[in-house]
Amino acid sequence: MSRADALVLIMAAGLVAFSYASFWAPAAPGSELRIVQGDSELMRLSLSSDQVLEVAGPAGITHVEIRDGAARCASSPGPRGICEGAGWLREAGDVAVSLPNRLIIEVLGQAERFDSLNY
Amino acid sequence: MKAGVRLCLFLGVIGITALLTACDRPDIHRDRFIAFGTVIELSIYSSDARAAAEAAQLIREELEEMHQAWHAWQPSLLTQTNELLALGHELLIHPQLLPLLEDARRLSEASDGLFHPGLGQLFALWGFHSDEPLGPSPSDEEITALLDAHPSMQDLIIDAGFIKSTNPALQLDLGAYAKGYALDQLSDLLRKQGIENAIINAGGDLKAMGRPGKRPWRIGIRDPNNGVLAGIDTRDNEAIFTSGDYERYFEFEGQRFHHILDPRTGYPARGTRSVTVIHENAAQADAAVTALFVAGPERWLDIAQQMGMHYVMLLDDEDVLHVTEPMQNRLVLERQPAAVRVYRP
Repeated sequence: MSRADALVLIMAAGLVAFSYASFWAPAAPGSELRIVQGDSELMRLSLSSDQVLEVAGPAGITHVEIRDGAARCASSPGPRGICEGAGWLREAGDVAVSLPNRLIIEVLGQAERFDSLNY
Repeated sequence: MKAGVRLCLFLGVIGITALLTACDRPDIHRDRFIAFGTVIELSIYSSDARAAAEAAQLIREELEEMHQAWHAWQPSLLTQTNELLALGHELLIHPQLLPLLEDARRLSEASDGLFHPGLGQLFALWGFHSDEPLGPSPSDEEITALLDAHPSMQDLIIDAGFIKSTNPALQLDLGAYAKGYALDQLSDLLRKQGIENAIINAGGDLKAMGRPGKRPWRIGIRDPNNGVLAGIDTRDNEAIFTSGDYERYFEFEGQRFHHILDPRTGYPARGTRSVTVIHENAAQADAAVTALFVAGPERWLDIAQQMGMHYVMLLDDEDVLHVTEPMQNRLVLERQPAAVRVYRP
């Protein structure tokens, strides 16, 4: 085998390794917040940027706070405080819901222990 | 190395690379949205992201249609039917409602009436015909007056596509059944779309199809005290339903009233924190889980047998886990209850 042959083989093997890593390797756990209203995704946000958002819905304003890598439903319409009661959302799969405002606030990622929760 | 061999080797490696990049890796495509008055979570295991997105859209549309047809208190096909039944009319039943009502009546009988989809007036009396019930609880007199009218699913006469009620106190409310029926329909729909591996979770109750690759779907069952009580791996085409006292409730004058009403007393059922069942038919599972919650620690095993449920667990209000042996064999407990009692059905 000539040096050129070896070079071609090394380059090709490198290309295979790169393709595997890019397209087949498991995705890393995410640190992203997704906000859905009804059946439409409103936005995706990084959990690393502290901020407070106002999301308008049919029942009023929901305040979503992002701080220190976590998010919470800080205030929302609804007499029982179900959305606020979800507390800080940190782990992939953590979710807060405001049915009056038709909002789902969820942390995305691949690290969930269960595929789905039954309740 | 000869030039021809070298070229073949190079093209072979490039070909494998191209194959790897051309196919998408099979993955779980998860989507959450609000429909049917609750949070829907759809997990589809597929290498075709576009097909998964199209299936999700189809599910949304289908759920909206079902919601509009079966809603118990907002104007719907069901509320129209209730209004006409209350007036004593005989009416041609809509084909969308007929199979639901026939099955609901059969399941009500099998549960000794503990699953009672004809108690809409009682649910309205308790304020559970609203998105966020706030109380107050009804008076004893109001409840007694309604129960004295003895609304029963036997009052519903279904004959040759026509329906009639012999009791004006009967008001249909499919809240403890329609979700299961919907999940059966939706899983069939997904299969027709070529989706074989998925979970449709509607507000906590779910149907699982196939598996995500070589492992089964892993489901966590909520602990009424928060967290996860147990994990379970599903088999193909299994529905898991749980009814708990934490789902819909209101607090009034320091007392908590949940939404699972006992048709015998007219009050929220006592003695049970949560019940979970697994069954291939989601509609049956939905009806059964309500009936077993009402049956409580004393009668749940008899009712489970009558309704053909083999995989059942019930957590009572003293933190004792009552579980059938087949269910016990599949559960992985995440925390130890005060006691575990295993029953051989």
